[in-house]
Amino acid sequence: MKKDKLKIGIYELTGCAGCALLILDCENELVDIFQAADIQSFLMAKSDNIDGELDIALVEGSVSTEKDIEELMDIRKRAEIVVAIGLCSMVGGIQGRFCDEKEWKENFKKVYGDIEMTHTKPIQSKPIDAYIKVDYYLPGCPIGKEQFLNFFTRMLRGNPPERYPQPVCVECKYNENDCLLKNGILCLGPLTSGGCGAICINHNLPCVGCWGPVEGGNWTSEYYLLKEKGFDDELIKNKMANFSGTKIAEVSEQLIK
Amino acid sequence: MKIVKLKKENLFSFLEAISEEAELWAPVQKYENKHSFQLIKDFSQIDLKYTRTILPPKKLFLPPTFNMFLATEQGYEEDFSHATKKILFGVHPCDIHGLLILDRFFQHVFDDPYYSKARQNTLILGLSCWPDENCMCKSTNTHIIEEGYDLFFSELENDYLVWIGSSQGDDCIRIKPGFFDEDITDEDIQIYIKWQNERDKAFQVDINFVAMPDLMELKYENPIWEKLGDACLACGSCSNVCPTCNCYNVLDKPLLNKDTSEIGRCWDACTLESYSEVAGGENFREKRAQRLKLWYTHKLQAYISKYGKPACVGCGRCASTCPVDINVQTVAKALEGKDMDTFWNRLSKEVTK
Ligand code: SF4
Ligand code: SF4
Ligand code: SF4
Ligand code: SF4
Ligand code: SF4
Repeated sequence: MKKDKLKIGIYELTGCAGCALLILDCENELVDIFQAADIQSFLMAKSDNIDGELDIALVEGSVSTEKDIEELMDIRKRAEIVVAIGLCSMVGGIQGRFCDEKEWKENFKKVYGDIEMTHTKPIQSKPIDAYIKVDYYLPGCPIGKEQFLNFFTRMLRGNPPERYPQPVCVECKYNENDCLLKNGILCLGPLTSGGCGAICINHNLPCVGCWGPVEGGNWTSEYYLLKEKGFDDELIKNKMANFSGTKIAEVSEQLIK
Repeated sequence: MKIVKLKKENLFSFLEAISEEAELWAPVQKYENKHSFQLIKDFSQIDLKYTRTILPPKKLFLPPTFNMFLATEQGYEEDFSHATKKILFGVHPCDIHGLLILDRFFQHVFDDPYYSKARQNTLILGLSCWPDENCMCKSTNTHIIEEGYDLFFSELENDYLVWIGSSQGDDCIRIKPGFFDEDITDEDIQIYIKWQNERDKAFQVDINFVAMPDLMELKYENPIWEKLGDACLACGSCSNVCPTCNCYNVLDKPLLNKDTSEIGRCWDACTLESYSEVAGGENFREKRAQRLKLWYTHKLQAYISKYGKPACVGCGRCASTCPVDINVQTVAKALEGKDMDTFWNRLSKEVTK
């Protein structure tokens, strides 16, 4: 039973292009990837891109200009399944952490001054699901190779992708690491989606949260724990906000001011 | 059962001689004061004075993640590559009891071939130890062993008393018969008894496990569970480090451009939010407090009611691992109504302030 190849498009909104680069970096599998699917659009990899109907659209980057909104709306219209890949797309990225409109405006002014943008109008950075319905999410900043290949293969077979419901601590213990948090080091493992293999802690570095907030993380408890261990209030909140994008607003409500 | 004597200076030569056709795994220092069972290439790495490893011996029988089989269109090809021939040296009594409890889970009703194969291929060489502030094996009555080992080494002053617990253990001794002395003197016995008495006095924790099933029942709706739930980071570490936790998940890994998938298995933990999630997204233990109740029902109640002993072997790993002080000791004391200076107690005072 030979089916038509899945039509896939890979798109980049506002981000560092790291997730798209990671897909391109699957060097040993690239031929297989291009053989298995009909990659219609992938700006980083090829020039003959077509903007037609798609089975799956992978979207990297957050929405931070009006042009991004238009592009995203168009992608949603054309694609059966839309997948947010990477932290920017999922939660708005590092650039999404200033969720307060006023704070965002001040920061924008600090960086760009009073200039008028002519190309497109910049807006506050938001995850793509602030504008469209998203079918699946692949966390990570950037996403992981194994995670991507697993996702891609599952999609080819018509299976839903793997979820990442467990915190980094799980893989950290699989690797028999000593717990940094227990030893008084600011590790965000319990609040962060696993899947990275706890790579930082394997190298004795604390998790900074780059796979984004895990479902059901207990921010209040970790916040107090870190305060008790002597960390400064501002520092804890900054670290927690770093990779949480606009999700930090929900989380901040948990933290007692 | 037979007991023989080995001079301390001959221990490593003996281990070297018997490990010619098997991997030797033993405790090695991984971090300051934290140990791990590792494959030994250099005998000087072995730390005979360790207290506990971060992960228990279960990691050698059912690794945290491993591939069970390759599913093809024709059927499946089993993968037993984790079950190599091993000698596991330096296992303390609590961990030997831990393995006996896992045997019950994985062998008594249904046989788990992945566990059993690795178990059959591994010799257990036990080693005596000295308790630290987190050891509770006297309370769980797992400081003494009667079964579950091939050889057990009890440290005296210049020698080890070596218990032979199986015919394979006996075969090992016969590889180097010259090392072993059958003549155990009255003096040796006196040293051993004295050591045992002193060791028994050295325990700093005493928990009345016999009372726990009733206390769990009586305090099932007690507010302490909410306090514990408020503090728990839902990190799953307590299950991962516990020698008697046995839950796992099965994962499919489809292979790109092939018609095959690897079917793998990884440890799971009831303290994780995803553990009790079922198809359709329902979660019947959504709250951390509910999940901790399950964990402690398992450790302090269910197994005792069924087998007359707790499913905790007193190894102290939960205590040395949980970042927010939730462990068998603090939970047992809380059930007994004691007020303690733990993070979870301080947090609860902070939150309700
Ligand atoms: S070191 Fe960090 S990731 Fe690892 S168990 Fe501790 S808190 Fe979790
Ligand atoms: S920062 Fe955390 S989530 Fe990111 S790679 Fe390191 S351990 Fe993983
Ligand atoms: S009890 Fe402790 S170790 Fe267990 S899941 Fe909760 S925070 Fe983690
Ligand atoms: S305590 Fe939880 S994780 Fe451990 S064996 Fe029981 S149900 Fe499984
Ligand atoms: S409950 Fe704690 S002390 Fe008891 S066996 Fe498990 S990790 Fe060890």
